[in-house]
Amino acid sequence: MTRRKKMLQQLDNDIREHIEHETQDNIDRGMTPEEAHYAALRKFGNVARVKEQTHEVWMITWLEQLWQDVRFGVRALRRSPSLTVAAVLAIALGVGINVGIFSVLNGLALRLLPIPRANEILSVNQVLRFRGKGLRYINNNSGYFSWSEYRDYRDHNHVFSGVAAYQPYVEATLAGSNPRSILGAAASCNYFDVLQESPALGRGFGADDCAAAGANAVVVVSDAMWRNQLGADRALIGKAIVLNRVHYTVLGIARPGFTGTEPIPSAFWVPVTMSAVLEPDEKRLANDNMSWLAMLGRLRPQVSPEQVRADLDVIAQRINQQYSGRTTSLSIHTARYLSSPEERQFLIPVSSVILAAFGLVLLIACANVTNLLLARASVRQKEIALRLSLGAGRGRLVRQLLTESLLLSMAGGILGSIIACWSFMRLTGFITSHLPGDFPPISINATPDLHVLFYALLLTFCTGIAFGLVPALQSTRPNLNSSMHGDGAAVGGKRRRRFLLKALVGAQVAVCMVLLMAAGLLLRGLYYAQTVDPGFEIKGVATTLLNLSHQGYDAPRATQFMTRYVEVLSAIPGVTDVARAECAPLAHDFSGDHFTLQGSSEQIPIEYNHVTPSYFSLTGIPIVRGRNFTAAETHDASGVIVTESTARRLWPGQDPLGQTLRETSGHVRTVIGIARDAQVAHLGDSTSNYLYYPFGPEDNARSYVLVRYAASFNDVSNGMRTAALSIDPNLSVDVTRLEDYLEVWRAPSRLVAWLSSTLGGLALLLCSIGVYGMVSYSVSRSVREIGIRLALGADKGAVVRLVLWQSMRPVLIGGIVGIVLCAAVSSVLSSMMFGVGAHDPIAFVAVPCFLLGVALLATLIPARRAMDVDPAVALRCE
Amino acid sequence: MSTKEQQERIELLQGTLDLLILRTLQLGPLHGHAIAKAIEFRSDEVLQVEQGSLYPALHRLIKRNWISVEAGTSENNRRAKFYALTAKGRKQLSVETNKWEKLAAAIAQVLKPARQEER
Repeated sequence: MTRRKKMLQQLDNDIREHIEHETQDNIDRGMTPEEAHYAALRKFGNVARVKEQTHEVWMITWLEQLWQDVRFGVRALRRSPSLTVAAVLAIALGVGINVGIFSVLNGLALRLLPIPRANEILSVNQVLRFRGKGLRYINNNSGYFSWSEYRDYRDHNHVFSGVAAYQPYVEATLAGSNPRSILGAAASCNYFDVLQESPALGRGFGADDCAAAGANAVVVVSDAMWRNQLGADRALIGKAIVLNRVHYTVLGIARPGFTGTEPIPSAFWVPVTMSAVLEPDEKRLANDNMSWLAMLGRLRPQVSPEQVRADLDVIAQRINQQYSGRTTSLSIHTARYLSSPEERQFLIPVSSVILAAFGLVLLIACANVTNLLLARASVRQKEIALRLSLGAGRGRLVRQLLTESLLLSMAGGILGSIIACWSFMRLTGFITSHLPGDFPPISINATPDLHVLFYALLLTFCTGIAFGLVPALQSTRPNLNSSMHGDGAAVGGKRRRRFLLKALVGAQVAVCMVLLMAAGLLLRGLYYAQTVDPGFEIKGVATTLLNLSHQGYDAPRATQFMTRYVEVLSAIPGVTDVARAECAPLAHDFSGDHFTLQGSSEQIPIEYNHVTPSYFSLTGIPIVRGRNFTAAETHDASGVIVTESTARRLWPGQDPLGQTLRETSGHVRTVIGIARDAQVAHLGDSTSNYLYYPFGPEDNARSYVLVRYAASFNDVSNGMRTAALSIDPNLSVDVTRLEDYLEVWRAPSRLVAWLSSTLGGLALLLCSIGVYGMVSYSVSRSVREIGIRLALGADKGAVVRLVLWQSMRPVLIGGIVGIVLCAAVSSVLSSMMFGVGAHDPIAFVAVPCFLLGVALLATLIPARRAMDVDPAVALRCE
Repeated sequence: MSTKEQQERIELLQGTLDLLILRTLQLGPLHGHAIAKAIEFRSDEVLQVEQGSLYPALHRLIKRNWISVEAGTSENNRRAKFYALTAKGRKQLSVETNKWEKLAAAIAQVLKPARQEER
């Protein structure tokens, strides 16, 4: 290529040289220089044309032919505008939704972090394995590092120019007239330097901000927090804000586009050494065996991934030696959102299912376009037969037809991608800002980038080949004789084509069935989630989670506060009962341990809760045998209450009262009471092992307060808030209805059900167009056959029955295949979503009936046309 | 240019320019202008090459690897590109020459009676 380019560049020189030579010759013959020059030019001829011709010598023929094909294709497509528009729209729809969903996933998991030179930042995670029994404290993510491990990697590696660590999702209460809870990060003091993020105002952390534990109360706040909560005050630098009742000096305000290195935006950053001040009861800095810090390193120039791995592995080995039986494997990736192995493990299957579902809709769209092209191929058959008989190569023709379908797919792909990118960017923003209150505000940047562009191109190209190849091969099948006659109704090629059409429709129906069934199952799950009875009285209860340790309380102050708070609450008019628990029912908050029975070594996992005696009366869960806790019982008391199912499972046929359970720690507990089963931990599940411990002062640092009320919720929730603020005006209190916790279980079901219904609807639409197209086509092709039948005395009903049977057969076969496929898919779905039964009878009966009904409707319209065939006209028409 | 001159000068048949270039280069490497001159000179100025058409032809031959290009200095001390016959081109020349001779002989054979009848 370069050789060719250089040669063409030199051509200019050569020509100039040539003309100068000729001019010189002419001068030698006695012409004046001017005359000589013009004579030389005349003799040389048209310079521009010569250049063009020389250039053509080097043009690649296939490129020229491609250009020819493109021009021809455009002309051919313009000749049948309705087909072109239909095909382009179908492809735009199919490609568009795929590109759209991909751009969302891309923003979530493929995009680099929004910081300068993000491609140099590696995220390091560790996977710990223990031989035999190992102990590791985990905060947030098991792949994270402890403070000492982080310093080891930071100080002893030779591959990073800097290594930063941070604890994500640190909750803190920002004091003010309306105290509120915000999420931030505790970061190492080189965090901003390593990320090369310089704050828009003020400065980031310096090394001396981390000099001593708990000594540097400084903070960098995010742009969003600065604008929304701190009044966008430019003079804020150097002033103090109060987080968890400690004054922090504001050092800087982050750049507007920088929201931290996690998908949930960070509102503030404090030095990691302030961790113990921010949450006084947690001693993370001193715990060398706790995973709580995410680690990011900026690669030195010209260091290869292998070098990084080798270098860090040495450090990992050294740390391993401090713990017996521990092996560490490091997982090192370019840093992205959700890039830790733990997160990927969840993300990859989920996104594959989503992409597959969207891909299926594209597949149906492809089948539709194939149908259209096959139908048109029969119209173009004469043209193609003529070209074949004039000696056009089949390969060349196939290439030309494929160029045509690629043109179609390009047009559709570009249209779809543009609409998708535009609408999904807004849609994501809309959805993320309308999630139920409990969901953190995820920031997904769904703007298209190179990944999305590449995906769109790949998809478009594959689509073009997918729907174009079969018609191209089919219509160039050399069968000149019959095609030239323009008839060939009884010829093999025609039968093959009809079979193809039917197979395509069958496949469409199968795919559509899978999507609709999935949607049906999910809708049933949603219905179940909306109407489920959790087995306890969920209505008329207000609840608040008071995480006092996150608000800067130590244990004695927390106990003091809670004692006072419960007293005040009981006095609020309309409040009939107050209870407290470690986990509120269905709050998506679980505790569990392993227990052993007397005389057995089997480890039985049991979830548990710490509750006050009033918990049972308040939630309406009766103690069916034995007794309730007393107010005097705390963690030290040995009595526990188990649920009926647990008692039946652990001590079948025995009296559970008085039986004992041994905890992992060695404590032995005695069963003093049996409580009725209820879905308190997981919605839809009341029979798993579950037991209740008595509530103790240790729980005061973090507990749910439950209030049963007989007044309006607003009055009670205001009362609860005012009561808390009357004791501590800096507290952030968020009161919700207990039944709102159901929303956390319902929201994913609703989102997924909504998504899959939309997909199912689109699939159904495309599929019924496909069925309709196939039937109309085959009716129009068999007009003569119908005419003969009618002329020979067949009654119209029989003709319609014949057409219906012929066209419903592929639909039925496809439907059965779809049901079988869906039976396989549904077990995957039921394991992922709440309330989805793997073999829900209603979904498995209703959806196929519905689909068949729609298919029948799509068949009936053209079938009725068959009935109106006039035998005389039909026999003459072909 | 007189009428007589115009009659005597013959335009080249399609494809024959390639053959003439190959033949000319058999004598040794030449630059573009010299090739044009040589063809005119050797045909007693009967064959007039439109000099520009030489270049597409030269590039066609380069592309087929029948001739090669090298830099050099022309007779009046100018830098110029010299075209030379390759081994492949030499072989091609003998094939083409053979073909041409057969063609010319055949055409002559067909035309001979016509000239006699004219007389």
